[in-house]
This record gives sequence, structure tokens and C-alpha cells, in this order.
Amino acid sequence: MSAQPLVELDHVAKTFYTRHFLHLDEETRRRRLYARRTVHAARDISFTIQPGEVFGLLGPNGAGKTTAVKMISGLVRPDGGAVYVDGLDVERRRRQVLRQIGVVLEGTRTSIWPLTPLENLAYYGNLKDVRGAELKDRSHRLLDFIGLRDKKNVQVRRLSRGEKQKLAICIALIADPRIILLDEPTTGLDVQSSRAIKDRILEMTRELGKCVLVTTHDMAVAQELCDRIGIINKGELVTCRPTAELLDLFSEQIFAFKLDRAPAAAEFQDMPGVIAVEAENGEEGPALALTVVREAAGRSEALYEVIARLRRGGYQLRSINQRQQTLENVFLQLTTDLRESPAPSGRETK
Amino acid sequence: MRGFFLVLKAEIVRSWIITRRYWFRTLTGIIVGYGMLMALIIGFMSRGGMDAVAPADAPPTTVVTEQAAPPPGVPGGLVSDPTKATRYVLGFIIGLFAFGIVGLFTQGLQGMAQMGVLEQLCLSPHGLVTNFLARSVVGGVNTIFSSGIMLWLITWTLRGTLYWDWVAAPVLLALTFINLLGFGFMVGGLVLVFKQTGQLAIIVRLVLFGLALFAEEGLLHGHWLMTAFLHMLPVTDAAICLKYVFIQGQGVATGGPVTSVFAFEAPYCFYFLILNCVVWTGLGIVCFKVMENHSRHKGTLGAY
Repeated sequence: MSAQPLVELDHVAKTFYTRHFLHLDEETRRRRLYARRTVHAARDISFTIQPGEVFGLLGPNGAGKTTAVKMISGLVRPDGGAVYVDGLDVERRRRQVLRQIGVVLEGTRTSIWPLTPLENLAYYGNLKDVRGAELKDRSHRLLDFIGLRDKKNVQVRRLSRGEKQKLAICIALIADPRIILLDEPTTGLDVQSSRAIKDRILEMTRELGKCVLVTTHDMAVAQELCDRIGIINKGELVTCRPTAELLDLFSEQIFAFKLDRAPAAAEFQDMPGVIAVEAENGEEGPALALTVVREAAGRSEALYEVIARLRRGGYQLRSINQRQQTLENVFLQLTTDLRESPAPSGRETK
Repeated sequence: MRGFFLVLKAEIVRSWIITRRYWFRTLTGIIVGYGMLMALIIGFMSRGGMDAVAPADAPPTTVVTEQAAPPPGVPGGLVSDPTKATRYVLGFIIGLFAFGIVGLFTQGLQGMAQMGVLEQLCLSPHGLVTNFLARSVVGGVNTIFSSGIMLWLITWTLRGTLYWDWVAAPVLLALTFINLLGFGFMVGGLVLVFKQTGQLAIIVRLVLFGLALFAEEGLLHGHWLMTAFLHMLPVTDAAICLKYVFIQGQGVATGGPVTSVFAFEAPYCFYFLILNCVVWTGLGIVCFKVMENHSRHKGTLGAY
């Protein structure tokens, strides 16, 4: 990866002030009393995205994902810090920056519905300084690429939600930007449309060398697409790691010992290196699930000691499995358990 | 400037496609407008009495440069005086024009925000002002064409007279349009930040509409404060000047006692119109830019 990131957020902060009506009782309802609320959409967020990388931004509703996308595209001005796109400050060089990025925000609403996909691309192409034969050629290529060739002359209002989403991606790509920002690109789509969009995103990065930022709620999408993932919660970047590393973050701690009979969890509670013990009796038979310390030496010592105790107790050990974490579990652990304690990494790791 | 023309081209194509694709809607718009205005005139007619109706075999319309008072005993109905009727129709159409142009920046902007198109315009490297300018130019020219057809049809029906001066008419239409554009930018800027002002803007648009309908020189002879206020509003001078040219034939070259609309003499409507253009356009664009920045700070740009 090159040294110069295509997107860089440097200690970015953004706070919104909103009002909401109290509606506590009849009096507050009648007098329409409201309370002022401070929403921290970004608190000292820093991360970078390299060329050819798919970066995922995950977080619960209202975490600040869309705000981050809007700050990169210059639609929202940060209160503090700076956003750079290809080394250009978004605040100072917004026009140049906009020539380099394509954005899909609520994709189905991006296009002009009375026009056809081809006409939409011609319109937005002109708006983004693309014209003539280049515009025509690129429009056709993009519609082929995204799979809308057959629908290029059908009015957008007659297209399905997935097709509108695909068109929105074409619109974002019409000026051949180096950076593509996709806000929830697969939300509300059926399996086929979602699959098609995921494939196109991968092609864009692997074959066309684009850098893509994806915000999503769909863990499977993130796990499948993203090279690196940032988890954001209440405006804070909880962690930012390569996807594989993020999945390993907790998986190495949990080991399941499948046994011939149900174990007594209390026998293993006081062992050094063991954090938690749980006796399970599921469909696959009785098992002992142990959460051990992450540190390698302590973990090995604990595992040997468990095996020794199981032998002494007369248990027949059938298998030992290291539990594979899903991104969903990691996400939930990071956004719930670790929210109260210091994050494993508030800054990014590469 | 190149960017503006690129955006303008895109807007012309978009507008042409939509007009062509929805030709029935465009046509019915003109027919409904025509019907509505005629109903209004018939309403005035019935107030004035049936004798107000011009005979079917009346001679073709003649050029009238001075408005003659109705002879004693003849009711002052509108159609008994086609010039007066045409004046109202013209006022009505200027009012609709003002209503439409300012509406592009208020309800139009709200609609675009709701559809999500506004976000894409904000993401255009040419900037929101350029995009809106191009959009309003196309919208304005469309309105001028459809209003022109409607005005011609009604004037023909009423056997009224419309004058056309190849210098004065385009200059006045352009100045009126620029004036309204500036005012629209100012209101639009407010709508960018305070989305709900779009509803209040309807009142402003109705005031402009009413003013265009009833604007005449006599309005400017009241209290100086009222006169100053009327001069400040973007349609008063524009409507008076357009009525001078279209109804009374006060173009560049006139004969007899009628003076040109460009003459530097009281009530200086043409010169107030130029002043208004400069002030409203400057103020409007500055206000729009400031509000756009404020909207970005609030995080509401492109959202409704």
C-alpha cells in the first residue's frame, strides 16, 4: 500500500445540537416545552483509507457513520480536526475534492425518476464535467458493468429498489472518481441485488483500483467486503483494524472442550489464566466452554491445566475447538461490553 | 463560466425531456391557466354587465396608446375596455411568473431535498449557486414561453392589444427575471437552513403575485415610506415597466405624447428596476452562500 492515503480523517470532531419536545405530561405538551440535546456525531476520530482498499465503517444507528461520510464529501463541516482527500483539505479545496469522490447517500433517492438511467447518467455527467463521446461511452460501460444494460431506456420510476441502488452507484462512478463513499449500499435489498452490488464493489477495488468506504449495518457485508473495519459508537471510533485481526480479537479466548458427560463448572473456576467457565449441554453433547487470557504463555498454561484436571476427573475428552467469532459478536462486544471500559484500540492499527 | 454552460446544457436537456415526455401535462397546464384567467375575466364581465362584451364582428384590435375614459352611462366592466382587461391579464401573468421563479427556490428546493436530488447537486464541483442559477434560467425561460402563449391567447380572445418592442421587451423581461432570481436566492438561502420557512415563503410569493397584478404608477404616489417600500420590492417597478411597454407601447421609439420606458423622468421605474437588480442579485447570492455554509455547519445541507 502506498504511503499517501486517499482519505484521511485527522482528529475530527462534530457536535449537533437538536431540540426535542418533552411531552412529559399534559402541561409540557400544552406549552410545547422542549429540551436541547447535544449529539456527538464525531469525537476525535482519526483513520485513513489507502488506495485499492475497502474500508467498512460499522456502528449502531446514530453512531455517526453517515456524518463521517458527509464530512469526507464536504456536505458537513467538522467542528474540529481536518479531513483530507488525496492530500487536499476538504474545507479549503472542496471543488477539487468533489472531482475525486463519488457518493451514494440513500441510493434510491439519488436519481431523477422521470428520466431513464441513460438520461440520468448524461445529466449527472454534465454536472460533474464529463461530456461528449466520453460521457456516452462511460455511461454505456457503467450500465453494462452494473447489470442495467436492459433497463437503460426504462424510466427510473419503473425500476426496482435494487436497480435504483445500482443506478445510484453508476451515478457515483460517472466522473470516474478514485474514492467511492457508499452509505448503506445494501440496506433493504433482496439477496440477489445485495450479492450483485457486493460483487461490483469488489470489482471496483480489485480491478479498477478504487478506494471504497462502506457504511453498513449488515455484518455479513462488512465481513465479506472490507479489508479493514472501523467500529464507531456514539461518535467515537472504538476500534479500527484489518477485518481478520478484528475477528481474531476475541476468538482466541474461547475454547470448547467436548466431553462424554456434563462437567461441573465450579471445578475449573479458580484456575490461573481462566477468565470464565461455562458448562454447556447442547445438541452436540456436553461441553466445557472456557474463556482464557489472551496472553500466549498464560493461555497455554491454562489449557494444559484444564486438560490435566479433566483427566484427573475421569472425563473423556472428545475434541477441543477454538470458537470462531463472527463479526456480529465482535461488534456487539465492542459496542456494549467495551463501551464502559477503555477500548482495545481507539486509534487505528495497520 | 464554462461550468455554468455545462450545467445549463444538462438542465435544458433534462427540462426538454420531461416536457416532451409529459407533453400532456404541459398542454393541460396552459389550458387550465387559460381557462382560469378567462373565468376571472368573465367574473369581471358579469360585474360590469353583458354590454361589456365586445361584439363578435368587432373590427380587429387597434393600437391604443392612451387609455380612454368610458363614456358616461357605460359600465366600467373590464371587457368594455380591452386595454384594462389586458393590463390585468398581463399583471396576472407577471404575478404567476414571480410566483413561479421564487417558488423554484422555496418549494422547488424543498422538493429536491425530499427527493434526494439536492444532495447530488451539492456534490457537484460547480457549486450549488451555479447549479441553481442554471436550473432557474431554464425554469424561467420555460415559464416565459408558456406564459407568453397564455397571454397571447387571452389577449386575442379579449381583442385587446399587446405591443412588442424588440429592445425594451427583452431588456425588461431579463431585468425582471434577474431581479426575481436575486430575491429567490435570498429566500432560497433561508430555506436551506430553516426548511420550514418554505411554507412562510408562500405568503411572500402571494404578496409578489398581488403586487404584480395591481402594480401601476398611481401606487407610487402615496406616502414616501410606502413608495420607498414598493420600490424595494422586486416586482413593483418590473410590473409597471412591463405594462408600460406591453399595454401602452412605451418602447424605445414612441410617437406622440407617450414617452419611452427608458426616459429618465418620474417615477424612474426603469432605473429603480436596475438598482433593484443589482441590490437583490448581490444580496441574494451573498445570502445564499452564507446560508449554504451555515447549513453545512448545521449538517442540514441537502437534507429536509
